[in-house]
Amino acid sequence: MHTNDEDQLNKQKEVHQEVDDATQIKYFGGDHEYDGIKELDNPLPPWLKYLFYVTIVISFSYLMLLFVFEDEDIVQKKEYRKEMMAAKAKTDIAVSEEATKTAAVAPLTEEQILAAGKVIYDKTCLVCHGKFGEGLVGPNFTDEYWIHGGKPEDLLKVINEGVIEKGMISYKSQLNKTQINNVIAYILSLQGTNPPNQKAPEGEKFVKN
Amino acid sequence: MELQKFSYDNRMTRNFAIATIVWGVVGLLAGLLIALQIFIPWMNFGLEFTTFGRTRPVHTNAVIFAFVGNAIFTAVYYSLQRLLKTRMYSELLGKIHFWGWQSIIVAAAVTLLAGFTTGKEYAELEWPIDIAITLVWVVFGWNMFGTILQRRTSHIYVSIWFYIATWVTVAVLHIFNSLAVPVSFLKSYTLYAGVQDALVQWWYGHNAVAFFLTTPFLGMMYYFVPKVSGRPVYSYKLSIVHFWSLIFLYIWAGPHHLLYSSLPDWLQALGTTFSVMLLAPSWGGMINGLLTLRGAWDKVRRDPVLKMFVVGITAYGMSTFEGPLLSFKTVNAISHFTDWTIGHVHIGALGWNGLLTFGMIYWLIPRLYNTKLYSTKLANVHFWIATLAIVFYAVPLYIGGITQALMWKQFTPDGFLMYPNFLETVAQLIPMYTIRAFGGFLYVAGFFILVFNVVKTIQAGSFLAEEEAQAPALEVLPDGKTSSESGHRFLERKPIRFLIIATIVILVGGIVEVIPTYLIKSNIPTITSVKPYTPLELQGRDIYVKEGCYNCHSQMIRPFRSETERYGEYSKAGESVYDHPFQFGSKRTGPDLAREGVKTGKIYKPNSWHYNHFIDPQKMNEASIMPAYPWLAKKEIDIQSTPGKIRAMKLLGVPYPDNYEQQAIADLKAQADSIAKDLATAGIQTDSNREIIALIAYMQRLGVDIMNKPEKK
Repeated sequence: MHTNDEDQLNKQKEVHQEVDDATQIKYFGGDHEYDGIKELDNPLPPWLKYLFYVTIVISFSYLMLLFVFEDEDIVQKKEYRKEMMAAKAKTDIAVSEEATKTAAVAPLTEEQILAAGKVIYDKTCLVCHGKFGEGLVGPNFTDEYWIHGGKPEDLLKVINEGVIEKGMISYKSQLNKTQINNVIAYILSLQGTNPPNQKAPEGEKFVKN
Repeated sequence: MELQKFSYDNRMTRNFAIATIVWGVVGLLAGLLIALQIFIPWMNFGLEFTTFGRTRPVHTNAVIFAFVGNAIFTAVYYSLQRLLKTRMYSELLGKIHFWGWQSIIVAAAVTLLAGFTTGKEYAELEWPIDIAITLVWVVFGWNMFGTILQRRTSHIYVSIWFYIATWVTVAVLHIFNSLAVPVSFLKSYTLYAGVQDALVQWWYGHNAVAFFLTTPFLGMMYYFVPKVSGRPVYSYKLSIVHFWSLIFLYIWAGPHHLLYSSLPDWLQALGTTFSVMLLAPSWGGMINGLLTLRGAWDKVRRDPVLKMFVVGITAYGMSTFEGPLLSFKTVNAISHFTDWTIGHVHIGALGWNGLLTFGMIYWLIPRLYNTKLYSTKLANVHFWIATLAIVFYAVPLYIGGITQALMWKQFTPDGFLMYPNFLETVAQLIPMYTIRAFGGFLYVAGFFILVFNVVKTIQAGSFLAEEEAQAPALEVLPDGKTSSESGHRFLERKPIRFLIIATIVILVGGIVEVIPTYLIKSNIPTITSVKPYTPLELQGRDIYVKEGCYNCHSQMIRPFRSETERYGEYSKAGESVYDHPFQFGSKRTGPDLAREGVKTGKIYKPNSWHYNHFIDPQKMNEASIMPAYPWLAKKEIDIQSTPGKIRAMKLLGVPYPDNYEQQAIADLKAQADSIAKDLATAGIQTDSNREIIALIAYMQRLGVDIMNKPEKK
């Protein structure tokens, strides 16, 4: 029994080699192994080591930019201010260019206006006034009754200023003038379309003259 | 030297392996369900228990803590005994650990579906379960260190370094993130508020990824890859360097989940930089795994287990490259709140955790049952299906995430948002979600092949409960460091010292980040107009948390033109100081709600709109993918809980007036009545004691405070 054990131990020792056959790399610590697992004595791959150094340098430079130079692309408030100013400058140019251009462009046809208006309506108005203007949380656009008046100017006022106590917000900052005009034209065109599930009339009867 | 005879206990390994498979089925099916629910709103089948807000935490918890957790324990209970040439320290502790953990999982699933949640991602479980987790974790550690201390090998192998780091860090993370004031048996408020809560939560959340999904799996890799391939580990030196740098750096990286939030700039910068520095240490692990296979590539071609390891380790390399990338603010500005993040984590989860676990199971089960794997061919089929599934899963989410982010940011030349309606950007995602669900289906299908293969293997074999082994007794080495051994080599034979040093290393980052955030006032500048929630709003907020709204809606407007134009003024640190827990969210499947209540704001909706929308979102917009919550109009507010909740909030430092808890119920009723009255003017008749009233009150409070002028004294 005893000798058997010793034999086995000796046998295990014989198996211990200094060098891995397949790669010809030295094992670490000669005979150290865990449940048959050995470890090679390879150094760190140089490229990995340098990658590590580079990331450390990048990181410290980044922290310097924040803490020492307070760089406007890292300090959040500054970055936001910069973005808003740049956007404003760009938008101002675009709007003034647009103003000079419009004169030359042929006016849209009635159909084009309504189609453009419908796009705005579906994006913005549908969620409260229903898919077909039948009214949902907001009033019905397809009957002849209006709470705040049915003239285009009345609609313009509601869209621009909102009716906040009823949950209608101002869309002045979300839609431009052309878009607002188009959507007013579209909304007014819905009258009499008689879609299903109409909301009961609200406000006063307004007849187009 | 005399050889000592002993045996390895395979019972616990077997139990944990079976539990891994069982919970794998549950977790993956839950994943498939939510992949469908996200674009098919009726997929909750009209039940409150199965809405996305509750099933998504079930999926994440089941996969992380049940599937991956049991896989970790399988690996530890198998490899620890063999690496230390000893039996597990205690069968009783093993049993308590096993059954304790499984009971926690069951309790987690039941309570999450029932709506008991803390509202903190991957830490949703309520306080009694948190205590149970702590106790079971201590039992696990006790059993592990007991085993280490009775070892027959002089040194501890690199796998065990990772197990030790895992154990101590998870304990620290879990305990500190879960600190809370209980209100009732299954309801508590976290100790931290707002930005501080966010910081602690993501210190926890990111390091759950690091120390639950990464370090124990690196330990697994260091055991199973050389074991299965029969090859030596590529570099011992690399394993030392990447182990210590990984555990030191990881703990700092949490704030990268909060880039462009109201977290102070210096913390965000630490999140970015430490994530960048993590690249090389992470890749160190990948290299040591892949290069171990040098000289065995021929074997890799034939063996599905090694193939799974190779793709799994490669997935680890990919996601640890992507991680630092996503931590750059410029990239994060696009990726955050979108499906890109979901794609990223699933490369890690399906690739790294999934494939490594599958490989381990295919190798282990035949050994535990003293037989051969039933079918290597089927394992190969599983490998290919799983790999394909990952591609089908991730690619559409990358495309969808980037597309949506760019749409959010698009302006017209005259300065308006190109896509002001959030739903327009959602419509683009539906085809992507469909393909993703198909990818998920493939992954589940592959897993069922594994289940079949395992069952057949078990049937063919007979369980080897005790595995005979022999080894020489522990060699007595000098107590101090000898001149011939390196400092680290010395440390490897001093496991308790190793544990203490590892603990110090993992504590540094957390201490440097968390403590100043509490002590230095300038980190969270006070805004005097910010007031505590009214009792009704507080109840509404609890419903918001209970329904898991944060799984789809953020409350964090980032300082971008595209966000302030869409939602209103960006979020400030001082606004969330009474938010226990914070509800910043991490994903926008629906729009941000941080300024929902601002009447002059961009997204204001009247009470009646909210009422109709909760009852039937598709009525308000048929393209909506939000599930309906009709039960909110039926269920009554738990009014009697109000004084206790106010008391708990006061304990947490929320400045309600003295004795306010006696006034609270009356105030709640008055506010509820006024909302019910307002709804009545819009033609909606409802009792004022319904949950929907409280939730509407909360909606209308969101983001309002800083718009109010501070009161003049």
